[in-house]
Amino acid sequence: MIQTIAQKFTGRRSTLRAAEHRFIVIALVPTIIFYAIVKFYPIFFSFFISMHEWSLFGNVSPYVGFDNYALLAKDSLFYKVMWNTMYRTFAGTFLGAFCSLIVALILNPIKRGSILLRLIYFLPVMTSVIASATIWKWMLQTRFGLLNQLLSYVGIQPVAWLQSTTWAMPSIIVMGIWGGIGFTVIIYLAGLKGIPKDYYEAAEIDGASSIQLALKITLPLLKPVVSFVLITGVIGGFSGGFQAIYMMTGGGPLDSTRVLALHIYDYAFQRMFMGQASSMSFVLFAIVLILTLVQFKLQRVDWEL
Amino acid sequence: MANQDFVGIPSQVDTRALNRGASDFQRLRRGLLFNYLILGAGAILMIVPFIWMISTSFKPQAETVSFPPRLFPINPTISNYIDVFDRANMGRLYWNTTFISVIKTVFNIYTSALLGYIFGKFVFRGRDVIFYILLSTWIIPFEVYLIPLYLMTVQVGLANTYTALIVPEIFTIYAMFMFRQFMYTIPTELIDAARIDGAGEWYIFHRIIIPLSKAALFTLIAFYFMWNWNDFLWPLVVIADQDKYVITVGLATFVGEYWSQYGVIMAGASLAIIPILALFIAVQRFIIEGVVLTGLKG
Repeated sequence: MIQTIAQKFTGRRSTLRAAEHRFIVIALVPTIIFYAIVKFYPIFFSFFISMHEWSLFGNVSPYVGFDNYALLAKDSLFYKVMWNTMYRTFAGTFLGAFCSLIVALILNPIKRGSILLRLIYFLPVMTSVIASATIWKWMLQTRFGLLNQLLSYVGIQPVAWLQSTTWAMPSIIVMGIWGGIGFTVIIYLAGLKGIPKDYYEAAEIDGASSIQLALKITLPLLKPVVSFVLITGVIGGFSGGFQAIYMMTGGGPLDSTRVLALHIYDYAFQRMFMGQASSMSFVLFAIVLILTLVQFKLQRVDWEL
Repeated sequence: MANQDFVGIPSQVDTRALNRGASDFQRLRRGLLFNYLILGAGAILMIVPFIWMISTSFKPQAETVSFPPRLFPINPTISNYIDVFDRANMGRLYWNTTFISVIKTVFNIYTSALLGYIFGKFVFRGRDVIFYILLSTWIIPFEVYLIPLYLMTVQVGLANTYTALIVPEIFTIYAMFMFRQFMYTIPTELIDAARIDGAGEWYIFHRIIIPLSKAALFTLIAFYFMWNWNDFLWPLVVIADQDKYVITVGLATFVGEYWSQYGVIMAGASLAIIPILALFIAVQRFIIEGVVLTGLKG
């Protein structure tokens, strides 16, 4: 014991510091190089591409300045894409947050079977979206799909869910909610855990009903969690939806489900307009950046938490 | 990897269940039955797609398109599964996906634990600046990277290789952030004591920090393996050769080719889903136990 303390205060100490120093350098230098090449350089490169008429074919990529952005501003398809993206984002986020809140509120007081229930609600989260979109496409099939077959029992005529400009987007939104609800529920449950039980006990003594408890105690105290779910949902929504839509409608019918992520992929890798696609990805980047700043402003996210 | 926005990691899961037994009876009387009914109905809605997938996958083609819909096939068959293995080259897809997911996950978790440890437990000049600069990449949507990364991949001649699938995702900001948070639960005195006893820095990291991070480690491994297994957009863009496809891309292609042979398609979807679900359910209890244990200790 004395020996180790002695060592600490004599010569050994400086060698230890050198070892720590070396350890940090060995770990950080490759990391920083990696981030520079794979995470930061591509952003500038992407902006560079968006300033050119860039195609994989042919070696000439003329500089066009901000023309790609100007084209977007005049492109009615792009406005439609933005509208679809917002429709999917806001409807999906708000409905999903609402459904998950209900589930979390009624799941919270349950003890027996709670793990099993949570697992069931979490199953779609673990499933690849490609696979679940395949299942949903089959269930929503017009003639033989399960949904229309079940609806025929109550006398509803078959609906061409994914071939209808009215129903395709709602179908995709519902599938998205199904796929994400388990995740949001877990976030809410964590938030609910943070509400002190005394509040409820005090209110119960005063004779408050369970609905009053939910409205007067739970919801106000859960507000930060709800707004976190909504804002992260909206931020994620703008860049999301690719896999489900790629599998289920491919953006159709008549571009009614064409969202930004799919549009960027389509322009870059199907039509090979990489410059134009890059300018769209920068629009997306700008939107996400603004929303994130709004989030910081609203929530003053404490990273040290 | 667009979906890794947020996971409630450790300490979030129910430790309360342990000290709640007494009031359970009272609560049940106060109408938990209603809760069970609603949750049960919801749970059925959640699993109907899976049940219908499995049901369809065992039906011969004629039964998949018959009315009324039947849960149990009249003539159950496994020929759909055999077909998928033949036509979609399922064995190959499994091998490719497992190989890539394991390598990516190992890299992801190792580098994140190391950096989380460094940012969480060391004090050096520029630490926070570097950390926040790295962290800032979290908010950038993958679509921004898609085109430049693809062009860079082509330029260095790595298109259509596994290297291109793995290398851009060796480091991951989310797990690094989580590990950094987790490091605050590990007492610094422990590390100092090991140093005084003459342990090297790498020894401390491998033999003390990693074992102490088990709870975070297993949870993150499970999630990253799942995300890597389910990854789609980047493999879709980078890999052109069918022999190198991962399972999501293979399934998407297969569905495109054989749509309307619903039994076979659903067999394909089951095969893509089942390994990851089985794995997750198998480790789920373990993860929750780990979380509860660390919660109690902390």
